[in-house]
Amino acid sequence: MSRVFWTGLAIAGAVLVETALAYLVASPGRYLDPFLLVVVYCALAGGETNGMLAGAAAGWVQDALFGGRVLGLSGLSKLIVAFGVGLAAGRFLIAGAPARALVVLLATVADALLVQWLASVFSVQATVLSPLALLSRATLNALVGGLLFALVDRRVGSRP
Amino acid sequence: MALAVPAQRSRYLLAGLVLLHITAISHQVDGGKGVSLLQRGILAVLSPLQRGVSAIVGGVGEAWRGWAFHRETYEENRRLEAHVRQLEAELQAHSARAEESERLRQLLSLRQAVPMDTVAAEVVGREGVPWFRSLTIDKGEADGVALDAPVMSPTGVVGRVFAVGPHAARVQVLLDRDSGAGVLVERSRVPGVVSGQVSGQVSGAEDLVLEYVPERADVAVGDVVVTSGVDGIYPKGLVVGRVRYVGKGSGLFRDIRVEPSARFDRLEEVLVVRQVKPPLETPRSVQ
Repeated sequence: MSRVFWTGLAIAGAVLVETALAYLVASPGRYLDPFLLVVVYCALAGGETNGMLAGAAAGWVQDALFGGRVLGLSGLSKLIVAFGVGLAAGRFLIAGAPARALVVLLATVADALLVQWLASVFSVQATVLSPLALLSRATLNALVGGLLFALVDRRVGSRP
Repeated sequence: MALAVPAQRSRYLLAGLVLLHITAISHQVDGGKGVSLLQRGILAVLSPLQRGVSAIVGGVGEAWRGWAFHRETYEENRRLEAHVRQLEAELQAHSARAEESERLRQLLSLRQAVPMDTVAAEVVGREGVPWFRSLTIDKGEADGVALDAPVMSPTGVVGRVFAVGPHAARVQVLLDRDSGAGVLVERSRVPGVVSGQVSGQVSGAEDLVLEYVPERADVAVGDVVVTSGVDGIYPKGLVVGRVRYVGKGSGLFRDIRVEPSARFDRLEEVLVVRQVKPPLETPRSVQ
């Protein structure tokens, strides 16, 4: 129950960040994906099952509020990415900010490629990110994610 | 063995969820027309949250600006800006109507177009994914906004409504790869279709692609591009943009880029067309 509550709160936080960012920069989704950060954290901390459920929920919220005409593309891509991250977290020791940042970087690239592939499979016209745009997005996500995860871990660890 | 059961369970869950997603996506792709109950429901539930956040963020921003500048000057400035926007919109509508009326009077002796019924809406959200270009506005079915309703800004066409909730709607902007609008080059009356570009940029201005214009067509840099009305969505004569680049295409058509008139990155308020006059009847003399 507690995990569901915190995941819901984190997704609501991602909505807030995305909406607030729109006031500062045009097309904020091109630069940062707060929903992906929530999903990766859930998968790292709770394993593939929790990650998948968080991924599906976050992806659908992202699709509904910020996505395109067809709902579910981000939901499906984040579901698969979360499964992969959760599986990796169960097999490898992913600790420390650099390792987690690398996971976020790879997850961002995987998510982007998956969405673009799914769009082509379902015949949905979607903008294709240039390698530079994808790299910028992945790097920014990794930096913010690494920092954010460390902060959240510190807060969780300091709890009695 | 103990670990194998949860692992197997998670794989079953993955397979189930993937199947569910594929079904949901296929349903939408096949459905094509109309707003699904799913989209309606999600928009109805989530849009108040987004609107609330937008209001809070907007409120904080307003307070800051109000403090930074003198309040009265700021209010006066806002009033004047709103007035200018209204006048610009009216001027654009008048200009388009006047041109159309004049042309039709001279060539076909038809009646003058009737003004469009519009509703002003505030932009409360922008796209959060780089693959699609969309906006969320704070007007929905309750305000008379319908599916496929054209959306304009004082400077040009913005896009069309693709999902409607009771008090919010989502707009597919012209820059979206999946969008399309029938247009004419105003000077030479060469028809074509504008849509978003295939590749996304990291930042900076984005152009529209003007497609299906034959190699020999009379199009030059600086030409104004307006809606043609043939797509059945956008009323005829609305400004879309200006030709920025004309090059040789790979096939039978030219490679033409259009700089959009609407400033998509700075949109705060838009006009949604609620009712467009039905297409003008062809006069008997022409028939």
